[in-house]
Amino acid sequence: MSSSLARSSLFRAVHAAASSSSRVSLARRTFATTVARAQAEPVPQEKQPLLKEFKIYRWNPDEPAKKPALQTYSVDLNQCGPMILDALIKIKNEVDSTLTFRRSCREGICGSCAMNINGTNTLACLCRIERDTKDTKIYPLPHMYVVKDLVPDMTLFYKQYKSIEPYLKNDNPPEKGEFLQSIEDRRKLDGMYECILCACCSTSCPSYWWNQDEYLGPATLMQAYRWMADSRDSYGKERGEKLQNEMSLYRCHTIFNCSRTCPKGLNPAAAIAKIKLELATD
Amino acid sequence: MNAQTSSLLRASFPNLKRAAVRSTAVVQARRATSTSYPYVPGGPVLKGTVNDPTSFPPSSRSHGSYHWSFERLLSASLVPLTAAAVVTTGSQYPMIDAMLGLGLVVHSHIGFDSCRVDYLHPRKFAILGPITKWGLRAFSVGAAYGVYAFNTNDIGLCELIAKVWHA
Repeated sequence: MSSSLARSSLFRAVHAAASSSSRVSLARRTFATTVARAQAEPVPQEKQPLLKEFKIYRWNPDEPAKKPALQTYSVDLNQCGPMILDALIKIKNEVDSTLTFRRSCREGICGSCAMNINGTNTLACLCRIERDTKDTKIYPLPHMYVVKDLVPDMTLFYKQYKSIEPYLKNDNPPEKGEFLQSIEDRRKLDGMYECILCACCSTSCPSYWWNQDEYLGPATLMQAYRWMADSRDSYGKERGEKLQNEMSLYRCHTIFNCSRTCPKGLNPAAAIAKIKLELATD
Repeated sequence: MNAQTSSLLRASFPNLKRAAVRSTAVVQARRATSTSYPYVPGGPVLKGTVNDPTSFPPSSRSHGSYHWSFERLLSASLVPLTAAAVVTTGSQYPMIDAMLGLGLVVHSHIGFDSCRVDYLHPRKFAILGPITKWGLRAFSVGAAYGVYAFNTNDIGLCELIAKVWHA
């Protein structure tokens, strides 16, 4: 009984020795935690918790009689990612799952998490948490109808975007192949095609606050100019003609909130100024 | 409350109107086509379905680029005009008095009119909107006539400013 046990353990040891040379490095890499435990004990590095208060706008459509209010959440910044969106996700995961906000790409390319953070419209995923103990106030985009908490109703914004026909219109496409564009013509679109339609600029514009239903707002106007400036588009005149009225374009009073707030660093005010110049000189 | 007084109240007090439509905010655009939720400028009920684009006001260059160009040219021309008025006297060149008087009145009319369109547009303020529109026009015409009378019967605009300046 005992001899057979000894023999089997001996066999195992020999077998292990034969194959160890080829496998041991692989095993080390695969089971890194096991190797680390075999080595020195990690020195425990307990950081002091750095608590920061987030005051977040809450409104629930299921309780319409209740007024909107700021709710305070305390987050340990040492247990949290660097961006405001990380804090929001942490709060939603760990503290209050009813907190509602839009987010998708978490890297500033989708435009979902646009909100008003400390008084500035920006993307939560591109906005760093300031590592101090002052509180951070988070509101939905200003002067928009709120669906719930930080979620604004963007329906009108998208309807306006649709009204400028944001696609290539040309009755005489090239007979063969694609539209060719010079480097200079392509360069005219730089600073406009990057817009992600997060609506930070439009909702920071006082003119858009007061006359949202008629004034198109900086985001939509910049996209209107993006197609007017496109050398491949042949409907520039018609696109401009639609803006020839009191409200759609000329409610822009060059306030420049749009350019100041744009989280992508674009300049909608310049695009609007170019539309005005183009309409005035044609 | 009959329909007329209700519309009058709504037109005069936009907050009242907003309070009235606040309860519909929840249903929003999904039911925008329903007749039970009439369209109100500024929302929350929108025109058409969520897939319809918004419409443009009728195209008019005199409200668009011509108005804008005129406004900018007038503003720019007021700069040398003011400089000219500073270095000369109104009694020497009465045309400067006249142009400055008319230019300033038109310039400020356009400015005030822009405020009116921004904040008291008739589409939102059915009563107050037209009142301010015609009130401002009457005020500007009155101001223009006053400046004309002052320039022809009294010492004129430039002389007045010079006098006040040295007083």
